[in-house]
Amino acid sequence: MTQPNEPKAADVIQSEHEKDEGSHRTPGTLVLALILLLSFAVYYFANWKALADTWPVR
Amino acid sequence: MATTANGLAALEGHVPDEEKPGFKTGNHAGQVRTCETTGLPVCLTAQRFIRLNAVAAVVFLLIGGVAALLLALTRWPTVHLLPADWYYRVLTAHGLNMLILWIIFMEIAILYFAGTTLLNTRLASKGTAWVAFGLMVAGALAINGAVWSGKADVMMTSYVPLQAHWSFYLGIILFAVGALIAVINFLATLYIAKRDKTYAGSVPLVVFGATAAAIIAVVTLLHGAVVMIPTFLWSLGLTEAPDAAWYRLVWWGLGHQSQQVNVCAMVSVWYLLGTLTTGAKPLNQAVCRGAFVLYILFINLASAHHLLVDPGVGAGWKIWNTSYAMYLAVLASMIHGFTVPASIEVAMRKKGHNKGLFGWLFAAPWKNPGFSAFFLSLVIFGFLGGITGVTLGTQQINIIAHNTLRIPGHFHTTVVGGTSLAFMGLAYYVVPLIFQKEYPAKALARLQPFVFAGGITVMAIAMSFAGSYGVPRRHWDINFTGAQFSAGFDSTAHLMMGLVGIGGTIAFVGLLIFLLLTVAAVFFGRSNAGKKMEAW
Repeated sequence: MTQPNEPKAADVIQSEHEKDEGSHRTPGTLVLALILLLSFAVYYFANWKALADTWPVR
Repeated sequence: MATTANGLAALEGHVPDEEKPGFKTGNHAGQVRTCETTGLPVCLTAQRFIRLNAVAAVVFLLIGGVAALLLALTRWPTVHLLPADWYYRVLTAHGLNMLILWIIFMEIAILYFAGTTLLNTRLASKGTAWVAFGLMVAGALAINGAVWSGKADVMMTSYVPLQAHWSFYLGIILFAVGALIAVINFLATLYIAKRDKTYAGSVPLVVFGATAAAIIAVVTLLHGAVVMIPTFLWSLGLTEAPDAAWYRLVWWGLGHQSQQVNVCAMVSVWYLLGTLTTGAKPLNQAVCRGAFVLYILFINLASAHHLLVDPGVGAGWKIWNTSYAMYLAVLASMIHGFTVPASIEVAMRKKGHNKGLFGWLFAAPWKNPGFSAFFLSLVIFGFLGGITGVTLGTQQINIIAHNTLRIPGHFHTTVVGGTSLAFMGLAYYVVPLIFQKEYPAKALARLQPFVFAGGITVMAIAMSFAGSYGVPRRHWDINFTGAQFSAGFDSTAHLMMGLVGIGGTIAFVGLLIFLLLTVAAVFFGRSNAGKKMEAW
């Protein structure tokens, strides 16, 4: 809807079940997903480290 | 294909018309208009209730927002605005107005929109919609009346044996029953759409997601009835107090699951705004729908993480619910977290924005507040809310975070930076398309999602760091003024609490811009009836 010649939302929703023949490459989203997973791994590890420092197992 | 009188373009191909998915002849009996901008058929009865619920949502957002500012300025030790009794009163009001009233009124508006407009059908029952709305408003007024008059300083959880005035519990019951009736009206609308064959093929993904939210809402509201009716009778002096451990367990079936309804509705709004702002289509219907089914099956179990330090339930129960079953719901969020931006990437690359890895993202319509609110909501929910949520929901880690400010730091990125921001983005389309009024001061509207998202992000991260220093949640005075022994927190924690106050104030400014512009548009905005909405 940002461009005047784009299809209307109704047309997009109406045809959402149809398979598109075009490319579905999403390398940018894949990189974003990898950044998310890396961030999670760092944060998760840091929290286990904090727990281990708080209550060390001897 | 058989289309409505709205002039939808016919699909081409060899499939017989009646077998193609999409819209067919509606059942509106003349009570319908065609949206000039989207081409979607808008049921006029549903339109009235979408407007009513959206207005009610915004009213309670204002109340909850003012409460939020007061809380942020109280927890900022240098300001420390409110006295203790008013702090807990305002905290109660903030939680209920924001987490329950604003969001559920908005969700009912979404259900009425998805159920009618996207399926080309009328609303099942006008009378039922009035009853539902009346009960919800009556309940919301009763809740606020009890809280602001000082008769319910029990905070949102209202844990037994804390007791509020009976009108507080009655208000929650009335609101929940009203919402349940609205959900049933939505499900009945799905039924008559199927019966009258107003669409062919499967329902659109947004409707599927809204239906998943509705199913979770039914379970949620039934939990509310189970826990609130005995508590209401106790407040009247008719029965003994409910068992405190039982209350906590069942209450979170209401308290947390209502937030899972939010997640489901928010994801549906992401898909809808993706289509409205960039023309994106879901990448894989089976995967996206499967993720919604995972929500229905497993997200309720996440309620258990509220009881991770509760002595009333065993370790096995805690670990099963939060460290195994909950991950299947997390998997669903990760699927949506991938498919939503991926659908945007595909749509933008099709338009020729192929430069490098992120050319499509830089070229996205960031000046459109519908897009910026939705995409910022996605990032805040996924990167901040998701990562902290999974970590804090781990039983062993939770022991160093429970009841600290890390918890509000987490959920302000999910329900505020995530859900509320997504719903604000939706409002930038609801007002022009359903109220048929144009937003004034569009430059300010374009800025608003960034101000709100920035403020919430600063506040939530500062909350998380302060919580890591041990600062408790729901605490009026971290300096422990007048204590008999030396207590309090070091300067870093105080710095973080200052950032909580600053971030909260910035977020409030963003909220205020949204409210002022939306009220100005609804009541004084230029009409676009019969015309396309102005491009953002």
